[in-house]
Parts: sequence; structure tokens; C-alpha cells
Amino acid sequence: MKLRQSMAGLHTWGGLLPSWLLYVIIFAGTVACFDKELSRWMRPALHQDTVSTLSADAVRGWLQQNVSDELHAFWMHGPTIREPYWRLGWEVDGTETFHNVAFDPRSTQPLPMAETVGGDFFFKLHYNLHAGDVGMYIVGLAGMFMLVALVSGVIIHRRIFKDFFTLRPKANGQRAWLDAHNLFGVVGFPFHLVLAYTGVAIFVASYMPAAAQVSYSDNVMQYFGEVMGAYHRDENHRPAALPTSLDALITESRRQWGGGEVGWVSVHHPGDSSAVVDVRRWDGSRIGPPQNTLTYDATTGELLNRQDASTGYRAYSWLAGLHMAQFGGTLVRLLYLLMGLCGCAMLVGGVQVWLAKRELGGDRSVTWVRTFNAAVFAGLPLASLALLWGNRLIPATMAERAAAEGWVFVLAWLVVGIWAVLQRERSGRLLRDLLLMGAALALGLPVLNALTTDGHLASSLSRGDWALASVDVFLIVAGLLSAACAWRFGGAVARRAAANRPNRAQEA
Amino acid sequence: MLLLAFALSYLAMLVLCLNRARHRGALLPANTRLPGRPAMWLLACCLFGVALWLCAQSQGGQIGVVVWLCLVMLAGVLLVLLLAWHSRLALTMAPLLMIGGGLGLL
Repeated sequence: MKLRQSMAGLHTWGGLLPSWLLYVIIFAGTVACFDKELSRWMRPALHQDTVSTLSADAVRGWLQQNVSDELHAFWMHGPTIREPYWRLGWEVDGTETFHNVAFDPRSTQPLPMAETVGGDFFFKLHYNLHAGDVGMYIVGLAGMFMLVALVSGVIIHRRIFKDFFTLRPKANGQRAWLDAHNLFGVVGFPFHLVLAYTGVAIFVASYMPAAAQVSYSDNVMQYFGEVMGAYHRDENHRPAALPTSLDALITESRRQWGGGEVGWVSVHHPGDSSAVVDVRRWDGSRIGPPQNTLTYDATTGELLNRQDASTGYRAYSWLAGLHMAQFGGTLVRLLYLLMGLCGCAMLVGGVQVWLAKRELGGDRSVTWVRTFNAAVFAGLPLASLALLWGNRLIPATMAERAAAEGWVFVLAWLVVGIWAVLQRERSGRLLRDLLLMGAALALGLPVLNALTTDGHLASSLSRGDWALASVDVFLIVAGLLSAACAWRFGGAVARRAAANRPNRAQEA
Repeated sequence: MLLLAFALSYLAMLVLCLNRARHRGALLPANTRLPGRPAMWLLACCLFGVALWLCAQSQGGQIGVVVWLCLVMLAGVLLVLLLAWHSRLALTMAPLLMIGGGLGLL
């Protein structure tokens, strides 16, 4: 009994305080299930489903012509079904900042597309809140809190099996929300547990760095290299002869793998005689990515190394793969999306239980928790929709366009936050207004898409291009659901107001 | 094949649900005779097992298990949502899904 009581306190406070942060993480991760489809939607140049015909050497040629700094490394990825275009990234020596470019697939010459944060925005928000290493640690801490909340939740739940199928929406507030919280928590428990655990495990080497730092005397890169069985050659600052063809190395790698697909191709310290080319294999048919990268000399094309990852690293990459859902195609990503939404519902339900319990006591903190709920639970989806509006309305030629999109997201969220604070005493009306706003933003996007690009829903559907159409369809469904909820809540608020009026008259 | 796996998972959840007196009373007429609780448990386990086998057949062992687990969880969520708002549909959904899954297999 004592254990259960102490766990109840832990679950209540250890669940409530990180719940808004966890909502941001889970919501962003859920959206990131379809990050590449979203990226396509956000780049009008990709709406016609043309597959790029550029070669890897042409992409490298663009880099050599346009970037004159000395590079630490550059990396590129060829067209795939989900991303039918070349992507290129590079890091200028000593800066530790990454630059990224995506090339227009319709052009026969490398032609960068208009900048956009793309679906990657949500992926990054999911794992580090766009706050670098600090953000990564915050997310890790939130993940650990989620594990604590899940385990303590199981301990304090008295009737896991008895109430497994129980949901009583017509019961009093606390009962109904507790049922909902339990439903999404208990039925989705395996998913939440596995995803929280694997999510924390991905950055385990950063969360617990002591052993590696001691054993490798602060050279953590050497530790990673050894664990992964990767090849490393120190820079020797001697200029290299002309580099060998990357396309030839890609073809050779395919042959070595017996026809396997090529993923990222990266070149370390290009232009130096120590330069090496890593060709990674991509395989979506299994959970853990295949760890058989081939490393070549960038000048001679000689095969230097076949990756031989340790068993521990293979287990690690299996866990990471399970989290990242790059296997099993659209089906698995769709299932993860639905389960992710269940996770969001669990969090909302949990905070509502906390609120319902304290509402009758007239606690002052209730108003602020409710305000925070509106600002985060509604603010984040609204800001995400605003980001997509920004993506379509910011001119394609604008400098620092991706950063501008990010600002649209931040400002929209801030506006919703201020709105929630100002309207904190009228939460029912606020909720209805926020839902109406969501419906307007979501339903407006397919229209805006049709007006500003030629990739509108009718054209993508007629081509059978479901990947692109799915974004518009999802927005329409979300908008309609939001409108339906606004209508329902609007009715409930009006009824409550009508019920209160005679009471006040009596009191007077 | 996966729709059939989902249908079987849903059916298994429904069988487990009928094991609870509260839901049995809400879903079936009072005098309906059902097999005993251990038999219902066994039936649900068998249904889950067949669903798992179908998922493994369709997606391979490892991915099949992941897909199966997600389908089981979603079947549970669907059943509870139907029970709460359209309890009549909760029973009819099972044959509907089975027919859909069977047609999908053809």
C-alpha cells in the first residue's frame, strides 16, 4: 500500500511537470513519421514526381564550383522513392556547422531548390527541440521521466485488466478523463514503453559518456569509430590528385552487395591526399540498418575497409532502428503515427485528470495549468500549421528563407500563448476559438496549395501520387475534425452559460 | 492479409471484452450463453496467435512482430472507442472487418 501511495505522488508530479515537454516531443515525432512526404509538399518543385537524373559527380562538381572553403567533409544522398532528388550537405573545416542543399529534380544541371526547413523541422524538434546538445539532454531527461511515469503508472493502476475496456465519456469529468488516460496509456503501453526506452537509448553514449571518456582519454570519436567498425585516416595536409568518380564507386558498392541499395555517400577531408569515400548501404526491409559500409580511397578508388560493427553496436542500431521506423514502408510509419497520436491523447488525458481533481477546490494553479494546456496542446499544432502557411507565402527568392519559416512557427506559437493567457478566465470559449482557428488554418492549406503550386490535391490524386496527396488529405481530415469538435464544444459552452444564468439570478 | 490480422486482433479483443460481466451485459442479451472464461481466454490467445502468424507471413518475422503489436493496440483502442460511443457497432464491426480481411486476401 505504501509503495502505491508513494508512486501515486511520483506519477502525478513526475507526469504533470514534463507532460507539456513530452507532448512537444511526441507530437513532433508523430509528425516526423511522414517528414519526407511533408518535405515534398513543402517544395513545389517536387510536386510533379519527377525523378532526378543527376549523377553523384555532377553534385560534387556543383560543390567544387560554389563552395571554396576547405571542407571537413561532405555527404550526399541520391534519389529514392520518397525523396526523388539529390541532397548535399557539407561542413567547413573547424566550424562544426552543417550546410544543406537539395537539387531540383526537373533540371539536368545541379540547380538548388528554394530553401525550406522541410519535414526535418519536426524531426529536429523531436530529438533536440532545435537547441543543440542542451536540447538533446533536455529531451533525454523528459524521456527518462516518461519511463518513470509509465512504470509508476502501472504500479498505481489498481484495475489494469478489470478496466481495460472501460471508457465512460458521460461520467463526471475526472472519471471520464481518467478512463481516457488509462485507455491510451494501458492499451498503448507496449508502444510507449518501447519508444521511450529506445528513444533514450539512441543518445545513451552522450547521456553516460564517462566510461568512453576515461577509456579513450577524451577522444570520443575514436570510441565511436571502433565500436562501429568504421575506417578512419588522419588528414596529412598534402593536396590530392584528381578524385576518382563517385558514380563508379557507387556502382562498385552495389556490385559488392549483390545489388543492394546505396544510402549516404560521404567524403572526409576532400582535396587532401588522405581523403576517403564511405558508401553506406540502405535497406528498408529490416529493423536495424545494415552495418556494411564500404570505404574507398578517394583518389585511387581502392577498397580500404569493409565495416565490421561489433555485436553491441548491431544491437544498438537495431534499437535505434526500431525507434526511427525507417523499415516496413508506409504501413509501419502509419501505425507509428496512429500510436503517436494515442501518446498525445494519453498526455492530454493525464493533465485533464490532474485538473478535474483540483477544479472543485477552486485552486488558483488550476487556471494556469489550463492556460498552459491551451498554449501547448493547441499552440503547437496551430504553430505547425502556421509554419506550412509560411512555407507557401514566403517568397521563394527570399534570403534565409528556412529561418523565416522557423520564425513564423515561433511567432505563431507565441501569439497563441499570449491569447491563452489573456483568455485564461474563459477556457471554454478559448478552446472553441482555438479549434476554429485550427480548422481554418488546416482547411485553408490545401486551397493555398492549389493556388500557389500546380501540385493540388486533384492532380496528385489523378496521378495516383498518394505520398503527396496524403498531406492534403490529412490536413482536410484534421480540419474537419477540428471544426466538428469546435461545434460540439461551442454547444456545450452555450448550454453551460445558459444553465449558469438562472443560478446567478437566484443568487442576486 | 494485414486487414485480416487486424480483424482477428479486434475479434480477440472483443472476446476478452465479453469475458467482463459489465461489457457482456451491455453487448449481449442477458440470457446469452457463452463458453467459460478459460475457454474465452484460450480462444483470444489463438486469435492473437493467428494474427501474429499472418503478420509474420506478410512482413517477415521481426517487422511482423512490430506490425502485429501495433495492430493489437489499435484494435483495442478502436473497440473501446466503439464501446463508448457506438456500442452496437462494436459487435457488428467484427464480422465487417473479417469480411473485409477475407476479401483483401482474395
